[in-house]
Amino acid sequence: MFVVDAWKRSGYFRVGGIMLAVLLAIAVLQPWLSQLALQNPDVSPMSMGTFEPYADPSLRHPAGTDKLGRDMLALLFLGIRVSMLIALIAGCTATGIGISLGFIAGYKGGWVDAVLRTGTDMVLVIPSLPLLIALAAYLPTISIPVMSLLLAAFAWPFTTRIIRSQVLTLKQRPFVDLARTSDQGDMSIIFLEILPNLLPFLGVSVAVGMSSAMLAEIGLQLIGLGPASINTLGLMVQQSVQSGVLAIGKWWILFAPVSCLIAFFVALNLINIGLESAFNPRLRSVTGD
Amino acid sequence: MTDARPLLTIEDMRIHYDSVRGAYKVVDGVDVEVHRNEIFGLAGESGCGKSTLVEGILRLIEPPGHIHSGTALFRPFPEDPERSLDLVQLDYHEMREIRWKHLSYIPQGSMNSLNPVMRIRDQMTDVVMHHEPGGQNEINRNIAAALEMVGLPESLGALYPHELSGGMKQRVCIAMSMLLQPALVVADEPTTALDVNVQRAVLETIAHLRDQMGAAVIFVSHDLAVHAELVDRMAIMYAGVVMELGTVYEIFDNPQHPYTKRLIHSIPALGGPRERLESIPGMAPSPLAWPEGCRFHPRCPDAVPACSSATPRTIELDTGRKVTCHLFDPDIDLEQGSA
Amino acid sequence: MKPLVSYVITRALMFLLSIWGAFTLAFFFFHLIPGDPVSAYLQQLEQQFSQTVDAADAAAMAAEMKARLGIDGSLPEQYWRFLGNVFIRFDLGPSFINFPKPALEHILEKLPWTLWLLGTSTIISWILGFVVGGIIGTFRNNFASQFLINFSLVISQIPSYFTALFALFLFGYWFVLLPTKGAYDPSIEKDLLNPRFLLSVARYAIMPAMAVVMVGVAGTLISTRSLVTTILGDDYLQFAHAKGLRRSHILMRYVLRNAMLPQITGLALSLGFVLNGFYLVEIIFNYPGMGSLFLSAIRLLDYNLILGIVLMSITVVLAATFIIDLLLPLIDPRIKLSD
Ligand SMILES: Nc1ncnc2c1ncn2[C@@H]1O[C@H](COP(=O)(O)OP(=O)(O)O)[C@@H](O)[C@H]1O
Ligand code: SF4
Ligand SMILES: [Mg+2]
Repeated sequence: MFVVDAWKRSGYFRVGGIMLAVLLAIAVLQPWLSQLALQNPDVSPMSMGTFEPYADPSLRHPAGTDKLGRDMLALLFLGIRVSMLIALIAGCTATGIGISLGFIAGYKGGWVDAVLRTGTDMVLVIPSLPLLIALAAYLPTISIPVMSLLLAAFAWPFTTRIIRSQVLTLKQRPFVDLARTSDQGDMSIIFLEILPNLLPFLGVSVAVGMSSAMLAEIGLQLIGLGPASINTLGLMVQQSVQSGVLAIGKWWILFAPVSCLIAFFVALNLINIGLESAFNPRLRSVTGD
Repeated sequence: MTDARPLLTIEDMRIHYDSVRGAYKVVDGVDVEVHRNEIFGLAGESGCGKSTLVEGILRLIEPPGHIHSGTALFRPFPEDPERSLDLVQLDYHEMREIRWKHLSYIPQGSMNSLNPVMRIRDQMTDVVMHHEPGGQNEINRNIAAALEMVGLPESLGALYPHELSGGMKQRVCIAMSMLLQPALVVADEPTTALDVNVQRAVLETIAHLRDQMGAAVIFVSHDLAVHAELVDRMAIMYAGVVMELGTVYEIFDNPQHPYTKRLIHSIPALGGPRERLESIPGMAPSPLAWPEGCRFHPRCPDAVPACSSATPRTIELDTGRKVTCHLFDPDIDLEQGSA
Repeated sequence: MKPLVSYVITRALMFLLSIWGAFTLAFFFFHLIPGDPVSAYLQQLEQQFSQTVDAADAAAMAAEMKARLGIDGSLPEQYWRFLGNVFIRFDLGPSFINFPKPALEHILEKLPWTLWLLGTSTIISWILGFVVGGIIGTFRNNFASQFLINFSLVISQIPSYFTALFALFLFGYWFVLLPTKGAYDPSIEKDLLNPRFLLSVARYAIMPAMAVVMVGVAGTLISTRSLVTTILGDDYLQFAHAKGLRRSHILMRYVLRNAMLPQITGLALSLGFVLNGFYLVEIIFNYPGMGSLFLSAIRLLDYNLILGIVLMSITVVLAATFIIDLLLPLIDPRIKLSD
């Protein structure tokens, strides 16, 4: 499995993997962890006025409470879960779209490739954040899946590019020719001969997709166009900025979700670097090992 | 031909590449002398350490590689032939003084050895300016003369490397190597990867270097046929050491060492199909762990019991040729391996 | 000069075609968003002045406004009309903000601020990243280089609005050194010849610029270092050392120069994306640039202004690529005029 190889070959991958695993564990265990922080099975992390507003960090509230009297730690766990979910759905969807288009373009070539490539370049050139802002502003309601799909809609061109160029290179390799001449169908060549070789790139693509989805999500939230009912880390950042916590010296309320997000970005980026340096010798000079 | 003071005396040269699995002893104890005004050939299968040896003398080995030990006494000053410099010991600035003015280089990868974003003339000017700054006119005249000597028009100086063919780039490197009329030119596989006609032109140019300019040349090639045409004396390397050393006539007419014999026999007949040298049965050993005893013994058809246990000494035969093989050692018990 | 001419013409056609394509996509995208900005606007007016307006008057006014905004008639009609106005008369039509102030005027008012803030920081980060990346690429094996590259790898993907938040906290609230909002001190007379005004403009730009530079430097630094690492392993670099060129000369003429050419593309691209990437930094600092303008336009569904800004962003990106395509063959001899 390529994950095992990457783990063995790259220290970057190990560090990033551990960070992501911790975040993933928090996301999965969130219902239980939040209850632990709240110490009350009847309230949800989101319900307002449960505690004193703006309490400083203490044993009872290790990360303090926010303006609405909610326990920051419980809220943080929930934020990690929701953000992770959105990023995962968006990253996988984007990768799915990217794989399909990249494969079609790379494998078919000719005018199909030309059209798809022009389209991809076009989407890359169009400023995505403004379009996203516009979309979000005029959609009546936004749920977690809608939000994820929205984000995925702009995260696929990267994957399409990688997959296309990889398929083009792999097509030159002898084993694909061999499969061709031995009368295998297109589909079985794709799935049996080409796809397995692309697994590390799919890993990169999911990680990049997740990153850009989170990036866009925070962007939306910061502008105040994200859905206020979904407690993402981005929303937590926006609410703290909005209520001016820096000006009143309650900086931890802002930097708690910001740190979690940075941990996310760093973890995903390290995984990327790890995968690339483990599987693409030409890129090894990126990390210099 | 031999004078008392060779131009270059290499003694016990050892060049290692460090790695987590241990040291790759790529060059592992080489003794060689190069005389003034001779073309000295360095032959052997690919990977035997020829390039590493000359890069060591040129001080171009980069970490993790390093010169482990050895000396390379260089006597490039005609007015004072006794004065010698140990190339291994020179510091960066002293070495820079020697480079190109006294010791120039035609690299193995000549195809890619020219800076892709500089015009040929600028690259040639660059060298001259760094060693013998002079008027632009004079430099241009020298460059034109050097290009003409390798059969290239002066106008080629205005081109970029990617606009030249492989053979042209090779000849540009040769022209560059003689710009400052050095005492010694090291040419690493200058004919490899060129087609036969271009090869011939390049060989003639190198012979020219010696005849017209009095330079000595260390000529590296895995292709024995080329050595036969060009060199005066030669060393046969195998697995980081020299197996046999003698004049080109001795080596080709009367090879002594079992490895040399195999090599000579694997040269295709003139006009016959060209094959690579690896037609000797068996695999080349790894520099990480050379075979015990004689490095050639796993592949040697003449091996005796001593070969797998004792390292052979280098024996000097008549006329000064040298062979590193137990069969020529009068003092060794061929069955036991003890002297 | 024939190939050059046809090359330029092809590229120019591609450039215009892409602008048109992206413009069309954006036009239909925004116009297919449900909503009627004029009725919303009229309602708002009604509330503001708490007047009861005659229904017929209101309808007439709405029709008149729609006509002036160019959003009457069928969508294809609107499209062709807008296309003509924009590309032939360079007229985007009026905007809702201070109706009927032309949308173009709004853009031209805000554009200098964005260009000043983000253009400057992009160029600064490129220069810093290139120089530092070149240095740590050349001297790789020391603690500082290792630390810098790993630090950059870690922070390169952190969005610049996070660094903006940190900067805001540290210098705006903790140490209270720098202003937190706006582009200049409003108490100073706004005059480009007034040194106090210029000083305040610079002072207000420090923090947002710092946020952009930190992340931007990391990106350029990583790619420059990796380019330099590749170049250092290239044959022509070893050859340059063998030629005895001075180390500083090799660094400047062979390493940095060769690394700079591809990096210029990177600079042009990031300059092209200046209007795209940093909306949020502007918003965090309440900077009166294109980011804030675009947000207001979106809130009002101000088609003309929205499309104007989007068109501007797309044009700048495409123009950057177009200019690179034209310039690169001139400055980089490796790139041939093909396709
Ligand atoms: N960086 C390195 N690390 C380990 N081994 C190396 C390195 N560079 C070269 N070698 C080894 O040195 C040996 C000799 O290489 P070289 O001197 O180029 O041979 P030749 O020029 O005779 O073909 C090869 O077996 C190669 O594997
Ligand atoms: S020493 Fe032995 S193994 Fe080595 S070449 Fe001579 S005979 Fe062969
Ligand atoms: Mg070699």
